[in-house]
Amino acid sequence: MSLLSEEEKALRGPAATSARRVFPRIVATVFFFAAFEGLFFHTSLYPSILEPDSTTGGMELELRDEIQRVKRDRNQVVAVGDSRMALLPRIANEMNTGYTFATVSLGGVPPRCWYYELRAIDPSAHEYSAILIPSGDYDEPDEYDKLGERELDLHYILARLELKDLFDFPWTYQSNRLKWVTFRGILLKGFVYKRDFEDFLLHSLDRFAKVRLYNETWAGSEYGYHGPADSLKGLRIDWQNKKVYYPDNITKAQRAFIEGTLFRQHPPDTGVQTAYYRYWYHRILNRYKGSRTKLIFLPEPRAPVPPPPHPPKLTSAVRQMASEPNAIVLDAHLFDSLERPDLFIDALHLNGPGTEEFSRILATEVRRVLGPPKP
Amino acid sequence: MLFNTPKFFAFLATVLILFYAAPRSWRKAILLAASYFFYMSWIPKFILLLLTLTGIDYTAARWIAQTRSPRSRKTALIISLSANLGLLGFFKYYNFFAANLAHLFDKPSSSFALNIILPLGISFHTFQSMSYVIDVYRGEQEPVINLIDYALFISFFPQLVAGPIVRAREFFGDLYNWRPPLSDEVLRGLLLLVLGLTKKMVLADQFAQVANSYFKDVTTHPGMLTAWSGTIAFGIQIYFDFSGYTDMAIGMAQLLGFHFPINFRRPYLASSITDFWRRWHISLSRWLRDYLYIPLGGNRHGRLLTYRNLMLTMLLGGLWHGASWNFVVWGGYHGALLSVERMLGFKRQTGEDRWTALYPLQVILTFALAMIGWVFFRAATFHDSLYVLQQMFTGAAGTSVIPPWEIYLALITLLLAVLEEKKDWFERVALGPAWAYGAVCALLLLCVELIGFTGAAVPFVYFQF
Repeated sequence: MSLLSEEEKALRGPAATSARRVFPRIVATVFFFAAFEGLFFHTSLYPSILEPDSTTGGMELELRDEIQRVKRDRNQVVAVGDSRMALLPRIANEMNTGYTFATVSLGGVPPRCWYYELRAIDPSAHEYSAILIPSGDYDEPDEYDKLGERELDLHYILARLELKDLFDFPWTYQSNRLKWVTFRGILLKGFVYKRDFEDFLLHSLDRFAKVRLYNETWAGSEYGYHGPADSLKGLRIDWQNKKVYYPDNITKAQRAFIEGTLFRQHPPDTGVQTAYYRYWYHRILNRYKGSRTKLIFLPEPRAPVPPPPHPPKLTSAVRQMASEPNAIVLDAHLFDSLERPDLFIDALHLNGPGTEEFSRILATEVRRVLGPPKP
Repeated sequence: MLFNTPKFFAFLATVLILFYAAPRSWRKAILLAASYFFYMSWIPKFILLLLTLTGIDYTAARWIAQTRSPRSRKTALIISLSANLGLLGFFKYYNFFAANLAHLFDKPSSSFALNIILPLGISFHTFQSMSYVIDVYRGEQEPVINLIDYALFISFFPQLVAGPIVRAREFFGDLYNWRPPLSDEVLRGLLLLVLGLTKKMVLADQFAQVANSYFKDVTTHPGMLTAWSGTIAFGIQIYFDFSGYTDMAIGMAQLLGFHFPINFRRPYLASSITDFWRRWHISLSRWLRDYLYIPLGGNRHGRLLTYRNLMLTMLLGGLWHGASWNFVVWGGYHGALLSVERMLGFKRQTGEDRWTALYPLQVILTFALAMIGWVFFRAATFHDSLYVLQQMFTGAAGTSVIPPWEIYLALITLLLAVLEEKKDWFERVALGPAWAYGAVCALLLLCVELIGFTGAAVPFVYFQF
């Protein structure tokens, strides 16, 4: 229905041709914009030339590596997680458990991203015998920095988000600002790729060379990774007085990180963090409902020196997973033997020998809980 | 509510829908309500100031038109001008004079200072009001009968905060003979909106990062190339910031059936400073010419008085930009350059005649002179200005503070400016085939998406004036 009055129509001269001239031009604008945006950013075209050392680029390398990995049998086990997931697939595979281990864990990646990682590497939800999901000390204390409200998650997983996630992903955030930012980011991925794109424009040839190098060497170098040799050997902690006794080789920055991490304060526990974990664990669980894939939740070594005992949080999301049919929750003290200064590189992460030992224990435990591999 | 925010675009879309969906008799009221809403989205209480000035100027113009007594007419004019200049002076210049007074009496600079917030767009809407009342006084403009019409003239949201400064006869010509925009005008309007947004977010805001970083503490960035590049970054920022805003304002007005005068014509392609001022902030130059330079005598009373008039006009024009001696010096610098050019008999070259071998050299020289002026405009203090100028001419080599990719960006825009100057690509695109229009708009929007600055929305530079 025209909004113009008869008088207005009469006022228009012969050059006035209403919507017939304007509409095709608006359509052409939308078409060209959507074509470019769609072709470059909503396909694998631009993700294939992302800066490998960026968050999105690093994630893409991990996922592409796992997707392209030849899986010779049905006994595949993959680990998700962040930098504390210490599984070294090479060491675990050398245990000859009958299962083949792989990992898509990446520093700083939280459970929200794990869901989308698994969707990318396992579209049918049938590919793996088990998914290894790390869960700290199983207590999920609240943090001042809310895990559920991290904009960075969008950057990690952007290349794997699709238009069908346009409402689903943003609505997993509470803040309206983040809902808007992530909605816009999924619809117009160029907004998020902006810095990478500017860098690409400036150093296109260097970028192509770097991407080629990473593509050729990433899988091998990651599989052969040994972890750092340094350790905190000699470190002692007086938990009661919050005092750390350092060996001589520890720098000032390392000391600050160790103390900041080990003695950090948590806000009063309101269950926000647990609710976040519960939501994403259930989404992963539902994805594998009716599948042969088991979800194996595992603890992570807590600190270079065992922290003082405290009553377990029985309502934590991971402990409640134990009652789910497809989920297996490993013993919370499985890795207590690794809580030694000589096996840690800092307050949170195992060093080379630590990760090797962790991988051996984990491979053995996975074999035990899954039973013999399928022929 | 900044033009470069999603909130503003939602506001604009709502206004357009309401405006065209409503019966014609409601449309002025819708625009006025939208304009007041837009104004109040910043600091609501300042609407009282806008309403007061609107009431005073509306009444003064009616009074001038109705009375035959020259004395009464003059009284009404003086009341109106005093109200506008008084409020402008108080809000914009009180602290400047207070600081100078304190300096004079050897007291701390904040001794007489007040905590004053400059109302949005006061420099622009007071100039627009004054031009209307003066035009009525001169008999060049019929007084407006309908208060809503006049209130809309003063508060029309596309140009309320930073112009262009529209003359009453232009605005009311559109208002009283309003017709829906032709399709060509809609297409131009949309293209201007997209182009303006691109200028702001892709060019101005990117170069602003460089300029802000340089001028934050100039003494930490010594060197000749450093000083020139930091100043050029600001020169690019302020041009694209202001012309981007103006493009958006003109584009929005076109979508609503109004036609604003052009405000910028590629000033950095000017062949002289005289030419520069015919291309830069044209609506202000026109205002200063008609309401200051010509009333002062213009060029009608001999050379010396012409130079004096030029200097006075530019000094006041400088002071209009901001309450600081730096702006006065900037205005005086341009006044002096204009006087020198007049003294040397510079003629403005127009059309194809100017595309001679000499033209690029003239453009480079004019650009350099304009950049020297921007130093006073941008530097935080007069002392900083002198430091930057000293570095520009006697500093060590230094390095460019503009990243390489922004240099490429600047070169592309220079190429586009030359093409516009010679080939008028904007009109060709606006009226060209659908695919070309779509491709250009899509390309500009992609630039906003991929290169545009997306930190917190950066306010337009001229909003502070």
